[in-house]
Amino acid sequence: MTWEIGLPLPFGTTLPDNPTDAQLVESCRRGDLRAFEHLYTMHSPKMKSLAFHLLNSRSDAEDAVQETFLKVHKAMGTFQANSALSTWIYRILINCCYDALRKRQRLAEKPMPGQLSTDSKLPLKIALERAILALNERQRLVFLMFEVEGLKHSEIAGVLEVPEGTSRAWLFEAKLALKKMLTEAAR
Amino acid sequence: MIFECRDLDRALSNPDLLAELQMHMRDCEGCRNQYRIWTEISSTARELHQEWESPALWPNILAAVEAQRPEPKHWYMEWKLWAATAAAAATIACVLMYWPHAPAAPSPGIHSGDQDFLTEQALKDVEKNEAAYRRSIDELSRLAQPKLASASSPLLLNYREKLLMLDSAILETRSSIAQNEFNAHLQSDLADLYREKRQTLQEVLTDAQRN
Repeated sequence: MTWEIGLPLPFGTTLPDNPTDAQLVESCRRGDLRAFEHLYTMHSPKMKSLAFHLLNSRSDAEDAVQETFLKVHKAMGTFQANSALSTWIYRILINCCYDALRKRQRLAEKPMPGQLSTDSKLPLKIALERAILALNERQRLVFLMFEVEGLKHSEIAGVLEVPEGTSRAWLFEAKLALKKMLTEAAR
Repeated sequence: MIFECRDLDRALSNPDLLAELQMHMRDCEGCRNQYRIWTEISSTARELHQEWESPALWPNILAAVEAQRPEPKHWYMEWKLWAATAAAAATIACVLMYWPHAPAAPSPGIHSGDQDFLTEQALKDVEKNEAAYRRSIDELSRLAQPKLASASSPLLLNYREKLLMLDSAILETRSSIAQNEFNAHLQSDLADLYREKRQTLQEVLTDAQRN
């Protein structure tokens, strides 16, 4: 159920079925919460999943997504159209996740890379999940965004503010590191 | 080129070396195993995407957005402001018109002896704002209707009762306004009743979201 607490409801204004970034930004700036909800519906599933992999907790992931949308709402007026809206939102999400990590010091709870080699019978999915935690920050981010959440290299490059080729190179590095860890674990 | 195990990683990033890698893997179990893991990483990674229901997330975001907003500029406030400004302007105009000059013919629609009346233009503005405000309250009513229809808790039953009373008072006030449409006091009372109704409906919806 959606409703707007601060009246008036925007009667007479309609949001197209597939609004462009510019239309969404414009509507959000006018205070149209349906445009904001559209953004939420479009991006929140992947955002929750990405935040979950970064924070290792569903409730923390939801907090990060909530924080992200609040920041997006607050800063919508300052959004520059020189990057895609989604790129901007993911960048804010990642910053929120890192803020949360710093605050809650969850990094200490993550399994260390050394733990991987002792678990030779783990199904690949679980082994991979653990191995991802042992990647360095940039490799993990690129791997999660590309392989797990299906973002394109052009989008990842925008989020991380690096050239597209760098995103590809970091993904390759990440996969090589994972292959190494998983091969050792399988021995 | 003689393909060796150490060339594997290079071959993974260079499609030109793929044919040689395939040849090499026929006799090398180690490389075969590594290549299998390499190909499985991507397919397994897609299974790591997490989906779960978060029914409270969007309402929480909305509530937080609302809390973050500056004090909303309510329509009823504008409406009341219009009414008050118009009444004041009309009073001043009336005083200027009647004093110290000789009495002039009364303007159409102005009731003699009534100090709190509205001008034609102000009345149009008030009616326009009221119509928009009523539409937004009707929308809230529509959202709250299912909750009220199936009300079982004492709180919801109270809300339902209160809304019935408010509707009745609104009807009564509107009927009085129809007989004396330039009366700013009545318009102000009506605005108060609408505000109360809107607040009650919001409480119903908030209560429904909590439960």
